[in-house]
Amino acid sequence: MDTSTVKIILQILHYLFFGYAFAAITSYIILSVISGKETVEYLKKNSFVNYKDILSSTMSPSITIIAPAYNESLNVVENVRSLLSNHYVNYNVIIINDGSTDNSLEKLIEAYDLETVDFIINEKIKTQPLRAGVFKSKNPAFEKLMVVDKKNGGKADALNMGLNISKSKYVACIDVDCLLLENALQKMIKPFLEETNVKVIATGGVIRIANSCIIRGGKLIDVNLPKALLVQSQILEYLRAFLLGRMAWSRLNGLLVISGAFGIFDKEIAIAVGGYDTKTVGEDMEIIVRMRRYMEEKNEKYKVSYIPDPLCWTEAPDNYKIFISQRNRWTRGTIETLKKHRKIGFNRNYGSFGMLSYPYWLIFERLAPIIEAVGIIYFAILVILKEVRWEYALSFLMLAYIFSVLFSIIALYSEELTFHQYKKKGTGYKLVLLTALEPFVLHPFILYAAIKGNYDYYFNKKKKWGVMQRKGLTSS
Amino acid sequence: MTKKKIVLAEDNSTLSLLLKFRLEKEGYELLMAEDGRKALDLIEKETPDLILTDIMMPFVSGLEVISHIRLKLDSDTPIIVFSSAGQEEMVIKAFNLGANDFMGKPFSPNELIIRVKRLLN
Amino acid sequence: MAAYQYLIDHFNEAPLLIQTAWAISCTLLLAIVILTLYLKLIRAALRKKDIETAKFREDYESTLIEYLYSDSEDGDITDHQIAIIEKLKVSVHIKSKRKIIISILYNLMNEVSGEMSDSIKLLYFKTELYNYALKRLENKNWYIIAKGIGELTRFKIEEAHDLVKPFIKHPRLEVRKETQLYMVNMFRFNGLSFLDELKNPLSEWAQVQLLETLQKFDDQQICDIKPWLKSSNQTVVLFALKLAKMYNQFEVKDTLIELLSHPIKKIRVKVIEVLTSLYGIEAKEMLKANFNELSLEEQISFFGLLEKLVVPSDEPFIEKHLFHKNFEIQLLALKILKSINLDKFMGLSKSPKSRGNKKILKFVTNT
Repeated sequence: MDTSTVKIILQILHYLFFGYAFAAITSYIILSVISGKETVEYLKKNSFVNYKDILSSTMSPSITIIAPAYNESLNVVENVRSLLSNHYVNYNVIIINDGSTDNSLEKLIEAYDLETVDFIINEKIKTQPLRAGVFKSKNPAFEKLMVVDKKNGGKADALNMGLNISKSKYVACIDVDCLLLENALQKMIKPFLEETNVKVIATGGVIRIANSCIIRGGKLIDVNLPKALLVQSQILEYLRAFLLGRMAWSRLNGLLVISGAFGIFDKEIAIAVGGYDTKTVGEDMEIIVRMRRYMEEKNEKYKVSYIPDPLCWTEAPDNYKIFISQRNRWTRGTIETLKKHRKIGFNRNYGSFGMLSYPYWLIFERLAPIIEAVGIIYFAILVILKEVRWEYALSFLMLAYIFSVLFSIIALYSEELTFHQYKKKGTGYKLVLLTALEPFVLHPFILYAAIKGNYDYYFNKKKKWGVMQRKGLTSS
Repeated sequence: MTKKKIVLAEDNSTLSLLLKFRLEKEGYELLMAEDGRKALDLIEKETPDLILTDIMMPFVSGLEVISHIRLKLDSDTPIIVFSSAGQEEMVIKAFNLGANDFMGKPFSPNELIIRVKRLLN
Repeated sequence: MAAYQYLIDHFNEAPLLIQTAWAISCTLLLAIVILTLYLKLIRAALRKKDIETAKFREDYESTLIEYLYSDSEDGDITDHQIAIIEKLKVSVHIKSKRKIIISILYNLMNEVSGEMSDSIKLLYFKTELYNYALKRLENKNWYIIAKGIGELTRFKIEEAHDLVKPFIKHPRLEVRKETQLYMVNMFRFNGLSFLDELKNPLSEWAQVQLLETLQKFDDQQICDIKPWLKSSNQTVVLFALKLAKMYNQFEVKDTLIELLSHPIKKIRVKVIEVLTSLYGIEAKEMLKANFNELSLEEQISFFGLLEKLVVPSDEPFIEKHLFHKNFEIQLLALKILKSINLDKFMGLSKSPKSRGNKKILKFVTNT
């Protein structure tokens, strides 16, 4: 190859990277503007809502909370208690003990006075069979509770069991180690009841990070900013993702994912599509994509809704090892889902779902780490070839960095002007500092985990097909 | 004669303040709890003569408070429950668990006084 | 200084693209600095507001209780109460304090009744909170109007009726909804007259709120719901069905039976449910006769009706559907058979070659 060809190739790559970065930045700007609009609208709409009637009404629709548990014996009793004290009349709680090997079940039996009951399951979705059976409390005070002990089949399988058992119109699928605020169900059910022209198939909630927060008696007493930079950075990352990203996508009705940690679904549709996919590690994203696809194919108007209030708090990984394996799993989940449903991508028949959401996820979520990695390699080659034009490189690196900081600051604004959870003095300064540090503290690891996820997906078959045992979110 | 002790478990702060005021005026000693867990602690520690509890409370519900008093503590301290509209089913459960009386919200504080007096005399 | 000069020169000599990049970077950096400083101000202000709110809350809570308990024997306002009103009046002029006072009053209004709620309402007028609520109705922002109507509803201010009523035709759905709630809160079933000519759908959320409001009243004298059952607005029909069930409207049974052939499936299914709770035996033979033409949902709903209203003569029908392909119907059919003819059921469960789902059979046998 002569030098001119190399030059041309380099030139083309140059423009490609430049174009990609430009598109990404533009999309961020557009998304923040949309999210700003949506947030204002949401706050206006909710400034006069009276939830009291809904929470105490027996006429409001039934909801089942389905919480799969795998070896959670440490906290399971307390967590269940907090699930039982949500402020809503018409709901029940099903804990699916997914083949735990610890003494979770014994603990639950003792704490809640459980006994086995005769129960018949209409197996609309195939699942692993029961183990010790179905339990209910002898004490009427715990009438809302049902504990189902089954053979291990993974989180998706456990949720499917819950879908089979629930008799409610809606199901709230959550991680058992999440702390739900007591008004969570009232707020999350609202979109389903409000819409009259479109069918709401699911509502997603925000996940907030509970590390270092003081929780007493199942109640969030005090919100603190954790000390560890890793956890702090994830807080900032979540704020950006939930307050800016998802808010905007919900306005565009383009949400492709509802956090597995907390979401409410229309049960009928969740069952009609066959429930959660047990073969993927990204079952929370996959089911939403499948439900959307189902609605598109049925040609019915539908919507995936989103509630930005801080209602669900959970522990985030506080060491890099767990963090990387979590993100690795997320990456594989995204790849699997997008691949499984690739028919949707750039397909006019699926409307904005196929022409906007899917492509966006593919290009800016799925491919971003790969493009970034290639970019870094490309840059390294340039350095070796002494082809770097440093004044260009530096000025654009700087611009990208400053832009990312600014974007984080906008997320902080969004938080302060809406939910204002980090109230303590001095926290604001730390959060601003974090916007500058986060690109170095968190981003390289996210990139590494994503690349590893790609590698594992394509080359490490053992990991791909190995039994997916559900791990507790984090054991702190 | 020592004052009779009443534990009041209610998460609406204004209402509990109002009732405290009113009942103290009648010569009772009031112990306040804003959730079921605190109520249980108070009950075990202070052995009150009467318990007033809301049904829907954070973390430990009124029903659980009743069941704890009747079953675990094996005590027959009179209990009055407060309930809101639409909680009729829970009121029935409360009676099954051993509640003595109930007041549906919104209620008149004067009426509460009458019922409290009736149970304490 | 030399370094600075060097940078300037360097910048001036750089290509346009680089100049632009640096210029944008600098602008954004400036924006970051300004935003950071402003964020600090916002946070400080919010913190201060939180502390003040907590303090005022505590303060006004006790003031309010003092007011409520300084009643004179004959119900007249005492001097002490007048003093409290004057004190509150001053605070009511300040928006943030007004908000707190309203929320405290409302907190209590919800939980007490009788003389105490009258007393709170009087305070609401005397402190001129009422005037502020009326002012909201004149605002041009829809959400402020909605808020104002909501407040008048919560404090049961019938006096504002003439001013609120026109909003029933407001272009914003939220305002219309608040107005509907106001009307029902003040005038119970008479307040529901807006349903007569409602063209837009009535959301599930609105329906629940309306039903809850109606249930709050002791006086359960319901009006004629037939016209709503016959409404062309399907959400109104669904709402009327809920009313029929809640208020045991035996007198509309005939209309309900007519509705069994309503074009919309959701309504037909609901009708069967309502008939179940109203002991609509009349519908039974009719539904039995064209059972096979019914949709699956209606069939399930009908078996729900049978479970409750079964008589021995239904046995042949039940037997015919013992092995219905649907799980729920099969389960219900077996349960019903067990309840009307135990011998036959036991024979079935013992027979080794019965066709149905063994698990269901075993379950029904055990329970």
